[in-house]
Amino acid sequence: MNMGKRIVDWLDLRLGMRDILEQNLTHYLLPRNINIWYTLGAVLLTLFALQFATGILLLIYYQPNPETAFASVQRIMNDIPYGWLIRSLHAVGANIIVLALLLHMLSVLFMGSYKRPRELTWVSGFIVFNLALALCLTGYLLPWSQLSFWATTVATDTAGAVPVIGDALVRLLRGGPMVGEATLGRFFALHVMGLPLALGLVLAMHLFCVRRAGISQPPFGPTPPPQPPAAFQHQEHPGGIPFFPHYVCKDLAVIAFFLVLLLVGVFFTPGLFIPPTALIPADPFSTPPGIKPEWYFLWAYQTLKIFPSEFLGLAIQGAAMTGLALLPFLDAGPERRPARRPMFVAAFFLGLALFVGISVWGHFS
Amino acid sequence: MEEIPLAPSRRRFFLTGALGGAGALLAVLAGWPVWRFLSPRAGADAAENIAFPRNQVAVGQAHFFNFRGRSAVLLHRTPGEFVAFSAICTHLGCIVQWLPEKGEFLCPCHGGRFSAEGRVVAGPPPQPLDRLPVVIDADQVRIG
Amino acid sequence: MRYPSIFCALLLILLLPLLAAAQNTVCFQCHSGLDGTLAAPTKEWPGSIHAENGISCHDCHGGDATDFALAMSPASGFLGVPGEGEIPAFCGRCHPGVLEDYRASVHGAALGAGGPHCATCHGNHAVRKASLDLINPQDCGRCHDYARAENIRAAMQETDARIVGLQSDLGRLHRIGIATEGMEGQVFSARNSFHRLFHTVDIQTVRQKTTAIQEELEKVRQQVADVEAELSRRKIWGGGAIGLLLLVGCLALVLHRSYLETGSRNTDE
Repeated sequence: MNMGKRIVDWLDLRLGMRDILEQNLTHYLLPRNINIWYTLGAVLLTLFALQFATGILLLIYYQPNPETAFASVQRIMNDIPYGWLIRSLHAVGANIIVLALLLHMLSVLFMGSYKRPRELTWVSGFIVFNLALALCLTGYLLPWSQLSFWATTVATDTAGAVPVIGDALVRLLRGGPMVGEATLGRFFALHVMGLPLALGLVLAMHLFCVRRAGISQPPFGPTPPPQPPAAFQHQEHPGGIPFFPHYVCKDLAVIAFFLVLLLVGVFFTPGLFIPPTALIPADPFSTPPGIKPEWYFLWAYQTLKIFPSEFLGLAIQGAAMTGLALLPFLDAGPERRPARRPMFVAAFFLGLALFVGISVWGHFS
Repeated sequence: MEEIPLAPSRRRFFLTGALGGAGALLAVLAGWPVWRFLSPRAGADAAENIAFPRNQVAVGQAHFFNFRGRSAVLLHRTPGEFVAFSAICTHLGCIVQWLPEKGEFLCPCHGGRFSAEGRVVAGPPPQPLDRLPVVIDADQVRIG
Repeated sequence: MRYPSIFCALLLILLLPLLAAAQNTVCFQCHSGLDGTLAAPTKEWPGSIHAENGISCHDCHGGDATDFALAMSPASGFLGVPGEGEIPAFCGRCHPGVLEDYRASVHGAALGAGGPHCATCHGNHAVRKASLDLINPQDCGRCHDYARAENIRAAMQETDARIVGLQSDLGRLHRIGIATEGMEGQVFSARNSFHRLFHTVDIQTVRQKTTAIQEELEKVRQQVADVEAELSRRKIWGGGAIGLLLLVGCLALVLHRSYLETGSRNTDE
């Protein structure tokens, strides 16, 4: 009797391990026509785990106060063995995560997987997306470089466009009238504990909803969608392919390719996400020219610049985000096949083109 | 994909083995930097020596300082005679104190006592205090 | 220099704030509105190496740069325009090493008797960053034949190339996050020793001291080479890890296809 079998037997006697393994691995069936987009969830879990691990390692040497923060990051990059690797993995990884999040969201939108009965999955996922962006925003300040300082100033300034409570909101975000020690303190607390905790909880909810409702059937092919059930029903796929080992292999392959992307960024284009202003310590009295937010916020930045009224710019963004968050309730029809939803698909590609276009404009303006 | 003339289960066994091997290699490649990151080797202060001006320590007095990351003590026994020891008690690691009236070291944790030569006089310490090399160079006392 | 345009652009971006601040002196504001020679400095100075480093009118000429009334008052330290014989001491307040070498040279001895002073070769307001191009037939040939200047220029050519090369290498390393401050300081110090050397206009002295300076530069070059070797090593390991991951991905894909081929249910464990 080999060791593995003995361990499983021991656990089986006490926890019913075999049953759990069967239900979640070998007898967990997925639709036959499942496509590669369904691997993005596993990719994101891996990338988040990597951020968490590299983040904890960085915490050992990082010092969260304005006098020594920049120097501590310099030390990590130059003096600590492989500090450059851990930091680069964390910085480049953040960007790859946003890319994967956008791809995941786009594929869910395109396949209409947010529709009934998966509205809660969509809403929890959208919250995860926002929490991830907040993590990117708070993390950006921590190196306390010129880029960190002034990009955070620009970003927190936008909250001032909210009517009535705008100024108070900015003061709350910054812990004072200007970005400073108080801002670093609260951004550090948020980035290291507050937001990861919230993200973990909401992510757990998201994964629970995914498993509880069952994997959706990709909406391609001639058969019309089944009528959404009147009572709760976990979506089964009889005759489907087992999650383990079939789809686990596919998950592994796509995870590997995303990690390749990450390592190419870390080893061969490390300067891509570190512009020159990120190498200068923060100077509250001197704003470098051409401060811009990171690529995933360029759309927001440019939208604010387009509209003459800051409030209008902010309101448009708020409306777009709210619309996206509540999409399952606005687009509630049961049809999921893209071929039969010309209006939605048109709006999808228009929205995508707008997002890319405004971001590119923001980059060059 | 071209036909591989192997039974599917044999092919899968080979592939899974290769996958496992590559995965193990990746784990080592990832683990080594993390291990080194967490345990940086001793840097410049491993070999650092330290010097004090002679008149910093009066006769019969002791001066405590940091030597290569550890607590140490410089004792001016008789005029011109300097000795240096590790100030870490050999019992359980507390830092000893110098009592000039008694001319001996006392460890406050369990009452261990060391003479001005570092030898155990009383109490639980099993070994004398570690001696550090001292060189007198004009008006400087060099340790290390 | 591998990326001269990027290096210069970077330098300019980093120094623009300094430039902006220095242009806010009352000196600049007033003189830019005047005519002829009085306004000339305001056109010549902005592109200069002094402007790039935030050195403005009052830094050389004294006076109070924030107050129109006190700007040109001797009581607030205004020095006025230096006479020809006063120019070396004027510039030498910040460039003492050069002053020392100049005074000991044949050029310095000829001051006031047809010899050159600082502004003769460097200009007074449109001062550019010092380079070997300042030694050329047009400028040196104004007073004597170019041959002896050419000899000195040839003797300095190699060291100059090394300094410029090292500075660009260090700029490149700094750009990817390597801590280069120490090495940049060493090169800057060697460069200063090197540039003041020319002002002795004595080829023996130049040859003698060049050796010591080149030794300094060699130390830095060795450090740069070490860093670049480390960076190459990282890329190789990175490439290896990437290759391994690609292998893992392909193996997983083939395994996936293999499972799919043999039907739906598979109770292999």
